[in-house]
Amino acid sequence: MAIIITVKLVGVFRIDRFKEQSYPLPCGSRAVDVIEALNLSRRLLGIILINGAHASENDQLQSGDCLTLMPLIEGG
Amino acid sequence: MKMNTTDPAAHPEQVLYSRCTVDLSNGQQTIEDVPCRNLEDVLGGFGRSFQDLAQRRIESAYCDENPLIVNTGLLTGSTAMTGMRTYFSSYSPIKGSKKGLPAAMWSAGSGKFGAKFKWTGLDELVIENRSPQPVYVVITATDTGPQIELRSAEHLLGLSTHDKIMALSKEYDNAHFAVIGQAGENWENVYMGAVALSTENQLKSGEDKCRFAGRGGMGSIMGYKNVVALVAQCNDKIKPVSAEVKKVNLNVIKGGGAARLQPIRRGGGGGTWAAYDVLQAFHAVPVNNFRPQGNDIPEKLFRENVEKDYFIESQACYRCGITCHNNISEKNADGSRGEFLAKFDYEPLNLLGTNIGIHEAGQAARLIQLSDNYGMDAISLGVTISYALAYNERHGDQPILNGAQFGDYEKIRQLIIQAGEGRLPEIGCGSMRLSQQMGETDYAYHVKGLELAAYQPESNPGYAWAIAGGHMSMGTYGLLTREGKTDVDSWVKGITEDKLHIVGFDMIGLCKFFDINNGIGTQMVVDCLRSEFGFEIDAQSIRAAVRRAFLLGLALELRQGYEKNEFALPAEVHKNPNPHIKLSNITSEQFFAQLEQRVWEIFDPELEELLK
Ligand code: SF4
Repeated sequence: MAIIITVKLVGVFRIDRFKEQSYPLPCGSRAVDVIEALNLSRRLLGIILINGAHASENDQLQSGDCLTLMPLIEGG
Repeated sequence: MKMNTTDPAAHPEQVLYSRCTVDLSNGQQTIEDVPCRNLEDVLGGFGRSFQDLAQRRIESAYCDENPLIVNTGLLTGSTAMTGMRTYFSSYSPIKGSKKGLPAAMWSAGSGKFGAKFKWTGLDELVIENRSPQPVYVVITATDTGPQIELRSAEHLLGLSTHDKIMALSKEYDNAHFAVIGQAGENWENVYMGAVALSTENQLKSGEDKCRFAGRGGMGSIMGYKNVVALVAQCNDKIKPVSAEVKKVNLNVIKGGGAARLQPIRRGGGGGTWAAYDVLQAFHAVPVNNFRPQGNDIPEKLFRENVEKDYFIESQACYRCGITCHNNISEKNADGSRGEFLAKFDYEPLNLLGTNIGIHEAGQAARLIQLSDNYGMDAISLGVTISYALAYNERHGDQPILNGAQFGDYEKIRQLIIQAGEGRLPEIGCGSMRLSQQMGETDYAYHVKGLELAAYQPESNPGYAWAIAGGHMSMGTYGLLTREGKTDVDSWVKGITEDKLHIVGFDMIGLCKFFDINNGIGTQMVVDCLRSEFGFEIDAQSIRAAVRRAFLLGLALELRQGYEKNEFALPAEVHKNPNPHIKLSNITSEQFFAQLEQRVWEIFDPELEELLK
């Protein structure tokens, strides 16, 4: 069984990738699976949102979820 | 400094710092080696200067008894990466309680002046009284120690910050400079004067690439004292980098929080500018006086949109591998770099861009450049202007000043010029005073008299307990946005335990980007202190000293007449919640009341002793 989610990327994560895309995944996938598949830098990864709520890498995704992945810059 | 111990926590009195006190009224000076009272003194910066300010009862910032203390931190001029900081401390003309008393304040800046100052052999310069004529102070290294001279500054008057630095660089070889602009010279009508610090890049390129100690009007204090510039002249005295410090520096660049600030071409996040993209995802980029509209207007100043038309370059302070600056220049037809415009940091870009309705990068850059050249704090300036523009929007029939509206570049430019030249005290004296004058204080985005940095107060109730301005003296700005914390317990812990430690960087001489999340009570700092000075000190002792210094700052606020209800966010935030911000509401009156009660329950007993 597969699920389809929406992935939104913010800031530098969009470079050579995309802004927003439908994303098919095997059932039981977690946020970390998307992060790894997209080869996002863990040093830069700051915020993970699932449906607008703060989430963690290990949170499981459901069909129809919106996963937003953002870098975070501190201060300044 | 003279280190006669390896254990500065147990024996601070065996560490001595070199202090020169100059009395400007008669030119007399005293240079002495002063034993440290405690670890805060050893670490330096505001940890030391605030103890001295606490010994004086000052009722007006512009009085002879109010000193200007210029000092460095223990690691300024060391081999530790980012060790460039200079601190300016005094009672502030702009930050003050409703009782009318000035608050103790410090401001920090990078550039190379701090390291040069340290290498002259001086650790602290205390400037007393005021000079009858404009002067500048020259600090040079001699075989017998630092030598301090006062010289006439008549020829520097009326020049911009950059022009003062370039003029002095023609007279002094091998030197760096701290100067004020016309704003500081016009201190009577400008309370937000900044101090500009020269950089290697500036002296080599001739372009106005200063760094600034902007906050709190320390440039206006310099102007009041009739001190137009400081010159630190000596050879560089950087030691070879030890294996221990090399490891720390690598960790700072590669492993620490600073990775996110590095240039994009090095796999970094691209400097503080990148905060635009992240905050916009929550509709939390300040727009038109801190009222985000839930639209995509801030995207116009996203880097990806700006670099289509302008030339962007990543640069760094002297010897810093973090390289967090984004310099923006005109782009020539062939794509090469044209005229340099300004440095795009998140704060000035937003506060002199999107938050005043300016969405064209070149216009925002020119306004930043103007603010820098006049030597004003871009944060206080931007927020005071946005207050005036919001007032004009509400009162279309009876606007104030020149009637400028959001986005009205020419009129806003005129406001900055007039303020910088001391002809517009309504702007030059800050948003608290302007809002009191207009009788509409709810819309003034300051806390305790100091304008907010470019983070929506809705995302950071911790602003209320910042002791030297918004985000740089209370590191809670990411607690909601990044960590998603919406419960009172997490916020109480953040404010009273973890996030106050950000101020440690303003003691030790390092830039906050060294390790912004963890502060200075860390193994990285312990390793640097062992390698540089042979100190055996643990992270806990450092953390304890930082906490004591923070609490003294809070105690000094209370002593200068702040009531507890002044530790508050701008009233508009509570009275008219912004429905467009896509973050949980943690600034309702109810949430804030709970937070206040719990935070003071923790701080009050510790403050009691300090307030005696
Ligand atoms: S982190 Fe940025 S501001 Fe700090 S010293 Fe390095 S280049 Fe300068």
